[in-house]
Amino acid sequence: MKFKNTVIAMSLVASSVVMGLGSSSAFADWPTKDIHLVVPYSAGGNTDVLSRRVADLLQNELDVNVIVENRPGAGSTVATGRLARGGRNADHTILMASPGHVIGASIYPNLPYDAVNDFKFIEKLLDAPNIMVVPSSSSYNSVAEFITAAKSKPMTFSHPGVGSSVHMSGELFKTLTKTKLTAVPFPGSGAALPALLSGDVDVSFENASTVLPHIQSGGLKALAVTSSTRFKLLPNLPTVTETEGYELGGFVTTIWNGIIAGNAFPDEGVVVLQAALQRVKERKEFTEFIEKMGAEPSTASGEEFKLFIASEVERWKMVAEEAGVRQK
Amino acid sequence: MENFSEVLTLFFVWDNFIAIAIGVFLGVVIGAIPGLTTTMAVALALPFTFSMEPVSAILLLVGIYKGGMYGGSITAILIRTPGTPASACTLLDGYPMAQNGEAKKALKMSLYSSVIADIISNISLIFFAAYLAKIALNFGAPEFFWLICFSLTIIVSLSGSSILKGFLAATLGIMISLIGLDPVYGSQRFTFNDYNLMDGISFVPLLIGLFAIPEVIDFYQRKVASKIVINASGKEVSWSEFKRCFKTIVRGSFIGVIIGAIPGSGATAAAFISYSEARRKSPNRESFGKGEIEGVAASEAGNNGVAGATMIPLLSLGIPGDVVTAIILGAFMVHGLTPGPLMFQDNLSLIYALFIGIMVSSLFLLVVGLGAIKYFSKIADIPKEILFPIIVMFCVYGAYAVNNNTFDIWLMMGFGVLGYIFNKTGMASAPFLIGFILGPMFEDNLRRSLLIGNYDMSIFFRGPITWFFIALTLLSIIFSVKRWLSYRNK
Repeated sequence: MKFKNTVIAMSLVASSVVMGLGSSSAFADWPTKDIHLVVPYSAGGNTDVLSRRVADLLQNELDVNVIVENRPGAGSTVATGRLARGGRNADHTILMASPGHVIGASIYPNLPYDAVNDFKFIEKLLDAPNIMVVPSSSSYNSVAEFITAAKSKPMTFSHPGVGSSVHMSGELFKTLTKTKLTAVPFPGSGAALPALLSGDVDVSFENASTVLPHIQSGGLKALAVTSSTRFKLLPNLPTVTETEGYELGGFVTTIWNGIIAGNAFPDEGVVVLQAALQRVKERKEFTEFIEKMGAEPSTASGEEFKLFIASEVERWKMVAEEAGVRQK
Repeated sequence: MENFSEVLTLFFVWDNFIAIAIGVFLGVVIGAIPGLTTTMAVALALPFTFSMEPVSAILLLVGIYKGGMYGGSITAILIRTPGTPASACTLLDGYPMAQNGEAKKALKMSLYSSVIADIISNISLIFFAAYLAKIALNFGAPEFFWLICFSLTIIVSLSGSSILKGFLAATLGIMISLIGLDPVYGSQRFTFNDYNLMDGISFVPLLIGLFAIPEVIDFYQRKVASKIVINASGKEVSWSEFKRCFKTIVRGSFIGVIIGAIPGSGATAAAFISYSEARRKSPNRESFGKGEIEGVAASEAGNNGVAGATMIPLLSLGIPGDVVTAIILGAFMVHGLTPGPLMFQDNLSLIYALFIGIMVSSLFLLVVGLGAIKYFSKIADIPKEILFPIIVMFCVYGAYAVNNNTFDIWLMMGFGVLGYIFNKTGMASAPFLIGFILGPMFEDNLRRSLLIGNYDMSIFFRGPITWFFIALTLLSIIFSVKRWLSYRNK
């Protein structure tokens, strides 16, 4: 009896060792517990809503819970700083990054982390363009007409907060066109829209999802899209880069979201997540969901995502310095 | 109306009633828990609505919103801890009423006032949406600036015994509101390079600290005899009291409707403006802040009046006025609907079904609210030695829960000490709060107006709305000075 027990025990140990070896090589041993998806903003924003959708789809793929955690503060830098520091649970914590990640790094030189090298870039999920819009009462019908006018008289552009992608797009446009645009801040896109609709401000480079309904209802006039290619939902709208007579080839700005983790995150977790997220990106629930936000699935993963981040940080740093919003 | 039967079939399904009931119930409970804000509740409920029918989905979210607006007042009245920022003003008279053994009366008045304001707000949404939306579009930064100037004159009337102390408190509130990033340049102000301070001081830890903690310190200082005597079985609101408050409720509701229809303003400001207007007009002016039932009615009418009206810019213009309506906008989009002028053409039946649902949700609020009062008043039966540690626990949890940040707990404790000093030195906390809420709005709109107008001052006098508020501001100052002079001569 005793012998039999010993045999069983030994075979159990042996099999678990074999299984352990197997999982670290052939089968990934990740995730071993619930995954925490940190949203660096308050509940309710676009990034938050997207994160909850992704968490939902991801837990179907991975068979563990994906818990969404809101950690707002100082743009997105408070949550991002914590992610970089690692600590307990770092091997199962990921973060939904957005343009705030690169713009934060370009505005604040004293961040306690390096926006490129302190992170593992897992998967970029989507890209959405901004749209250059003017009030319907505006007399300008093209980017070129607008630039000509803005060179001769002071004009204003609205944005939903300092350091937002919309704000930085406006500053980039101002720098490239050498026009006299003044940035007018509002507490969020909802508050900025009335000023744009009523003509209190002259132009904005708002997110496509925010302004699309107003373009369709005639409240706003779209002049151009800020992506490098034309926008699927408004195929007749030119890109800003198509503008003739001006050097606007560098004017490409998009809103994007992607999943990142700290350096303490295991490599096998990266592999598992990449595969799972690529499956999520192909799901109809996901594509239909982001289409309503005016976005398209991104193809960038891993190294390509990292290179994108590195180039964005450099670019916005220059714009921020030029615009005088880079802090000392 | 040929679509009438379609509207009825859209609305009269069980799902809608269940959605409203669950929404209002969740809203009241979550609103009553300090630190869990209505915004958070609506955001958390959003994913559940993806698989629902559009009408039920929106009604669930609207139910939570309305329930939360009322729920916040329960803990404000009973334990001096506002469940939501918008209920901070209710506490000024609600808590003294509870101390005088009139907790039940205060809770009921707050509920009746909330429900009436809610209904008025709904009616405005249904009948005047297009008109109010037009006003909202004409309400730019300069108009906002004068509205805030007018509201700031409130400080004089809410200063308590000493106008000087009132100004001191307001100035301190404004100074604390300056902490964070500059709204135009993004440069840091009073942050000492600390990332916790970059977004400014969080409102919820400030409120909890300022109001709840001093009571706790006070209790332990006196050891046995707490001055809290909550008598839940106290008197009901009498008919004559209700009649007396009715005018105030209607006035507060309309203040809420106007402010709610303007994107980017908010329920907290509406509650304070309604409160100060009530005080200005009331013959019982002196008893405000000491347990005046009219004060509770005014504050709740102001914040609930906002709830239906924030749907005005959303439905008629497609503009979300605050974070909650931004989430509701998201829910519309997920169902392939785009709020705005086109929706009135393409989905009219759906809009009318929503309107019926929104009206029904106000009635549900009354029922759920009455039930909540019955159960929440049981807090009164808990011995104070047990209740106070629980309150402290809720304070700590509430401060933490907003941003999941331990720094906010220390912040809350700090404001607790400040609140205690306020109490001991006879400084009123109302002007402090008004400075904190309206100060940044004053700065933002002043600077925004100057930027829009390219630093040409004429933008401040650009139309009838600006003139209207300039006149109101001047009148308010003249009357306050006159009253003060006659008071001094006595």
